[in-house]
Amino acid sequence: MRYLVIVCGLVLCVVLYSCSKSSGGPSPGPSTSEFDKTAMLSSYADELIIPAYQKMQQAITELETAAIAFLDNPGSTSQETVKAAYRNAHLQYERIEAFNFGPAGVALLEVNANFSGGLDYSFTQAGELTGFSIDSSTIENNISTGSYDLAVYSRNNFYSQGFPALNYLLLDPHAIEKFKVNTTGRVKYVKDVLARLKSLIDKVAADWGTYRSTFTGNTETNVGSPIGNLVNQFAYEMDLLKGPRIGWPFGKQSNAIPFPLKSEAYFAGMSAALAVENIKSLKIAYTNNGNGKGIADYLKSLGKAELNDDVLSRFDKLIASLEAIPDPLSDAFTSQSDLIDAAYKDIQQLLTLLKTDVPSALGVQITFMDNDGD
Amino acid sequence: MTAINFSSRQPSGISGFLNSLMKPVAVAPLVTFRIGFGLLMFASTIRFWLKGWIDAIYIQPKFHFTYWGFEWVRPLSTNGMQLVFLLLALSALCIGLGFLYRLATPIFFLLFSYVELIDVTTYLNHYYFVSLIAFLLIWLPANCNYSLDVRLRLTPRSNRVPAWTVAIIRFQIAVVYVFAGLAKLDPDWLLQAQPMRIWLPSKSHLPVVGPYLHKEWAAYLFSWFGAAYDLLIAVFLLIRKTRPVAYGFVILFHLATALFFPAIGIFPYVMIVSSLIFLSGDTHEKFLSKIFHRTPEPHVLWNKYSTALLYPCLAIYVTFQVLFPLRFLFYPDRLFWTEQGFRFSWRVMLMEKSGIAYFRIHDANTHANTEVNNAEFLTPLQEKMMSTQPDLIVKYAHFLKKEFSKRGMKNPEVYAEVYVTLNGRRSTLFVDSSFNLASVKLSWKPYSWILPFKNQP
Repeated sequence: MRYLVIVCGLVLCVVLYSCSKSSGGPSPGPSTSEFDKTAMLSSYADELIIPAYQKMQQAITELETAAIAFLDNPGSTSQETVKAAYRNAHLQYERIEAFNFGPAGVALLEVNANFSGGLDYSFTQAGELTGFSIDSSTIENNISTGSYDLAVYSRNNFYSQGFPALNYLLLDPHAIEKFKVNTTGRVKYVKDVLARLKSLIDKVAADWGTYRSTFTGNTETNVGSPIGNLVNQFAYEMDLLKGPRIGWPFGKQSNAIPFPLKSEAYFAGMSAALAVENIKSLKIAYTNNGNGKGIADYLKSLGKAELNDDVLSRFDKLIASLEAIPDPLSDAFTSQSDLIDAAYKDIQQLLTLLKTDVPSALGVQITFMDNDGD
Repeated sequence: MTAINFSSRQPSGISGFLNSLMKPVAVAPLVTFRIGFGLLMFASTIRFWLKGWIDAIYIQPKFHFTYWGFEWVRPLSTNGMQLVFLLLALSALCIGLGFLYRLATPIFFLLFSYVELIDVTTYLNHYYFVSLIAFLLIWLPANCNYSLDVRLRLTPRSNRVPAWTVAIIRFQIAVVYVFAGLAKLDPDWLLQAQPMRIWLPSKSHLPVVGPYLHKEWAAYLFSWFGAAYDLLIAVFLLIRKTRPVAYGFVILFHLATALFFPAIGIFPYVMIVSSLIFLSGDTHEKFLSKIFHRTPEPHVLWNKYSTALLYPCLAIYVTFQVLFPLRFLFYPDRLFWTEQGFRFSWRVMLMEKSGIAYFRIHDANTHANTEVNNAEFLTPLQEKMMSTQPDLIVKYAHFLKKEFSKRGMKNPEVYAEVYVTLNGRRSTLFVDSSFNLASVKLSWKPYSWILPFKNQP
């Protein structure tokens, strides 16, 4: 009995001690472990993520200026200017898309800015709102009735704002003509969409100010942890590339019938460039811009240098095969199907590593749901 | 009820053993066990509910991976499932309180097993353990003291029960530990310290030990200690002299696993509470009488068993528990790879396995190919589990064949390109991708469509 009391007492001490330590945020003093995860996360926050959101704010402000100039005087010159600003902003969006957790997750930035339709839909019919569709009928309806609330959580709403709505409203071949009818309503709608996108991005950028310490102070790898989120996002971005960005509109699920209208930012005619920027940004996110403090380096510290080399070479191969595809992607689906097939295979190769080998080596679960296991 | 004669001599041999099963012992260990188990199950049912898992696991999925032979098991509607969980919580609470115990135990057993049978992808060893314990409790008089049933005079009070009623629970726990230990006598576990070598460095945030967890020796220490613990703990719990220290180890070990691997959920607490039953009748009697302010009472035996029926039933149960986990011996290739004989065998926290499965539907008439979007049919959890478990891959292929027939394809064939990584090895092809998986029939036979395991680094 005395043994029992002593042992239980010891256990209690250990538990109380560890609980008091673990609930007190980041542990004090430098960690002596081989790889400094706190330094990695700080670097991700300060050198990659926060600057990327600041550039995004800048790009949206520039887009807003160009758009207002276009709305004041819709013509082909002002449209060219707004097109350049749109391109710039959407490309910058690809550079932040992989950070869709924490503040971006809270703000629902992804669905409101650049809705991909989610991964859990079948992609077999042209008319359905799936993938990177644009819901032009809801947009037109919103403009004509003038009553809409862009904050409502619905698929129609996601497809009627953000980049999908902007490229339709500003860059559609008939965009200039369309501003001649119900000009006030149309102009107001564009401004509302821009204002909402801007406010969401401003909110996410501002929230990172407070979220930063949560992000850098948690070096766990469980579901919902910063490292867990980063690694899950790599896999998710690859899933988006395999599905809504390239594979599905190309016809992989629809017996080779392509859906060109569902390519990302269709009216901007830059879907291939967006895909290239997306994967290049993902490589940068994986290596933390090659600064020695990335997930890639963490992987190497675990004795997985060979796996890391393979990941990097598959990144490079995929970037090259995507760069070979000419824009507009919507035309290339039919005219350059060999190139797209090749890129699709490369996507799958990289996806396999980023969804199995890499998370498994890092002890990270690929799941978007908390669950028990044994 | 009979008054007890303590001076009976034990004959030796089989009849001696059988007699010793009927020897009167204190019911107190069983009572503590009942209270602990009931309250823990009550808490864990509520926890499951609050986490939103009823909806996420039983309502949301469009398709469920049923157990082979239990394809008829289906989830109920949202209200139906909530009612099931409500009844589970209530019956668990009743078990804990010893209230309407004879009714509560079969209800809990049936409902719990029903819920577990809905979807294989939620299989956990400790759920199987809970089912078995619940089944045993149906037949055990764990409510014959310190219970509302006694207080309300629904059951007569007894404080002595036949020894087997306590022993069978101890046996069940020992089976869990010993098989969990035997499963760790594996080259990856002992010689490569895998998967500890993967899991431990990811726990560097832990206080005190954190900085050492990336060291190789830490992985070996955890692996070897874990194996030794599982193999030996039951023996040390059974020996009177080592029992208190052994139970101290039970607490330490499982609290450590809860701290290191929070994702294992309630398992550590199930084992900590269950293992209390190894403590002596005296310890439990003292503990219970102190809590419930009871003075010692004359010994009264509860014995309503017909030995003619009891012995064969016990023999069947025990034999099954000992032999069923060994069925993997009949299958070729590496168990961790094929997973034939993996479930219901106490293989806990044993491997780091993950996979990705690309399915392609081939129309045998038109030769057209369509890729499957797994997310359209499966939840992330289901997809993850399916991607590494051969029988689930086949179940899913059968579902896909049906689904694409429904969509108008005349003769759909299902092919899969599956990559699996095991214990830090690089991912390799798992399934023969030239095999029409829709045509595979599941059986006890070895899987012919799984590619052989390659033991590369």
